[in-house]
Amino acid sequence: MKSALFLFAFAPTIALSSPMTDDVITGHILPRYETLAGTAQTLASVAGQTCDVTDATLRGAYGEAFDAWIAVSHLRFGPSEADNRAFALAYWPDTRGVTPRSLTQLITAEDEAGRDPAIFPEVSIAARGYYALEFLMYDDAISTLGDDAISTLGDDAYRCDLLRTVTADIATTTMEINDDWADYAALMQTPSEGGPYRDDLDVTQELYKALTTGLEFTANTRLGRPLGTFDRPRPARAEARRSERTSRHIEIALATLRDLSQRLAVDHPNTHAVLDGDYARALERLTDLADPTLAGVADPMTRFRIEALAQLVTQIDTQTAGLLGPALGVSAGFNALDGD
Amino acid sequence: MTDRRAFLLGCLAASAVPHATWAATGATAFLSAGKIGEDYVLCGLSRAGDVTFEIPIPTRGHAAAAHPTRPEAVAFARRPGTFAMVLDCATGDVIANLSAARGRHFYGHGVFSKDGRTLFTTENDYDAARGVVGVWDTATYTRIDEFDSGGVGPHDIKRLPNTDKLVIANGGIETHPDSGRDKLNIPVMESNLAYLENGKVTETVTLGRTHQYASIRHLSVARDGTVAFGMQWEGGTPAPALVGTHKSGNTPVLMSLPETDLTAMNGYVASIAFSGDDRHIGVTCPRGGLVQTYDTQNERLSVCHVADDIGGIAPQASGFTVTSGDGSLHTIGSQTITRQAQHSIQWDNHLVAL
Repeated sequence: MKSALFLFAFAPTIALSSPMTDDVITGHILPRYETLAGTAQTLASVAGQTCDVTDATLRGAYGEAFDAWIAVSHLRFGPSEADNRAFALAYWPDTRGVTPRSLTQLITAEDEAGRDPAIFPEVSIAARGYYALEFLMYDDAISTLGDDAISTLGDDAYRCDLLRTVTADIATTTMEINDDWADYAALMQTPSEGGPYRDDLDVTQELYKALTTGLEFTANTRLGRPLGTFDRPRPARAEARRSERTSRHIEIALATLRDLSQRLAVDHPNTHAVLDGDYARALERLTDLADPTLAGVADPMTRFRIEALAQLVTQIDTQTAGLLGPALGVSAGFNALDGD
Repeated sequence: MTDRRAFLLGCLAASAVPHATWAATGATAFLSAGKIGEDYVLCGLSRAGDVTFEIPIPTRGHAAAAHPTRPEAVAFARRPGTFAMVLDCATGDVIANLSAARGRHFYGHGVFSKDGRTLFTTENDYDAARGVVGVWDTATYTRIDEFDSGGVGPHDIKRLPNTDKLVIANGGIETHPDSGRDKLNIPVMESNLAYLENGKVTETVTLGRTHQYASIRHLSVARDGTVAFGMQWEGGTPAPALVGTHKSGNTPVLMSLPETDLTAMNGYVASIAFSGDDRHIGVTCPRGGLVQTYDTQNERLSVCHVADDIGGIAPQASGFTVTSGDGSLHTIGSQTITRQAQHSIQWDNHLVAL
């Protein structure tokens, strides 16, 4: 006991991450960012070989790259937030239709920025990233825009250049994030008074916040936006519905959040058991829906099942706040909890 | 019941009939929403920190608006709430229930006109993501009009002293009830401070590109019309500033403070108030667990105190009273923080001075 006290008294000077936070960083975060950069690189090379948006290899590379983004989309801190990189990769939700409008402007004007990855970052953030790429590849209007114009060849060539520019831009951004994570991981692993994290509890807080933010985004935005209200369901708001990835995104999000939750709860097996059971049930319900674009929100016969899934995800969030937060010592106060 | 309410409203509307003033509520100086166990209340508090009244409200409250003369308070539900209650603080009776108009929800703040005949509420026209100000006739508490707030996501609203000019913190953040409290437009958010007169925007103040992700949310107004504003930061990188002041017609001033103090605020200010003598500005930072005061003369940080789950702040003669989610009230002097009272009520975000 004495030696334990002795160690404890001197602990603040040897700030190191706990095995738990270390595992989240090295087992959850770093491999996912590596995959993000790798799949984006592949996507850019495939796009360099073909501009045929119906090409199976291109579509496959697009799918894998987008998957990798969804698997890190809850990690909104550190390198992904520098220079608005996360926004440049994922402008969604797009409540005002800025992405299709910006792309249409680029294509109709044959804006030089669409041909040059070096100056492309100066265009509207809504014209960049995975969601813009989806429009270029899968939206009937955008992917054929200009085909009726006099210079069909020229327009086709511009869209091809734009596709390559968008994928190259994604590759650059994801590579920058992945590169910066080497240093940022060290900052999290050795918290200090002058750094972004004072101690391991600050790091835990950040990771916990990523988990709850991801759960809320999945319930309220990925599911909530297409659900709308019973009187006014909004199937057209479903995420990445053009490439029929809505349901898949929810699946990947739940799987990645489940992984994070499991690692955070490593020292709290009972809490883990409760939460993990709920994740399993949510994933099962999603599979049972067999509705890739959540079009069922508009059908009273299937809508209630999608509502039930959203409620279950909200319940996981509530359980996480009620069980895991206190177990980790990061419960937020009444006023600090979620802002005004 | 309807008759009784109609009778009460009749009384309040008839100026010939003498009616109650705030004196009828005892020594009430402040209003605050709170939580007791699983129940929600609106409370009156005296300068000494005693609870002067406690009235149940159906869900979590946010801010309150006090009528300039009658002992009436409007307790707003927390955003995206669709109701507000007008309470007679002398009797505890509910005078009226305000329901948001179709396609609108409240943001949790409101202010009365100078003569008390009109109530202005910040609201969201959510399908259009348009900030609006609801206009309510306080004789009957019916919504009679609305106008543009001058931006997206209006939050706090105040009236400039001795006028009916309004100043509104348009936070710039789009939300929609379908997505709960999720923020839908952060990459393109644009916050501003807007001044309105007779329902028209007369001046709009923005902070520039460095402050693109700063959401101006809470306001306090000094006797000379200077507006202090508190912000929350939505960017992933550290916030460049979280507190500023503005005087109509001038450029905004951002409070300067050492970087470590800025970082410690954790990107979030909950409440802001001028001290009674207007010499200081107090801000609460529940995420940073601290309360700061700034000197309005040199526009610099004066002191910073550690304070757990701090939320509301309101002026005392030369300092402040602050409330916490742990039920405590503290007074803040020029250098010190002193525990004033402890209640078994979790005090919510805002402490509103009458």
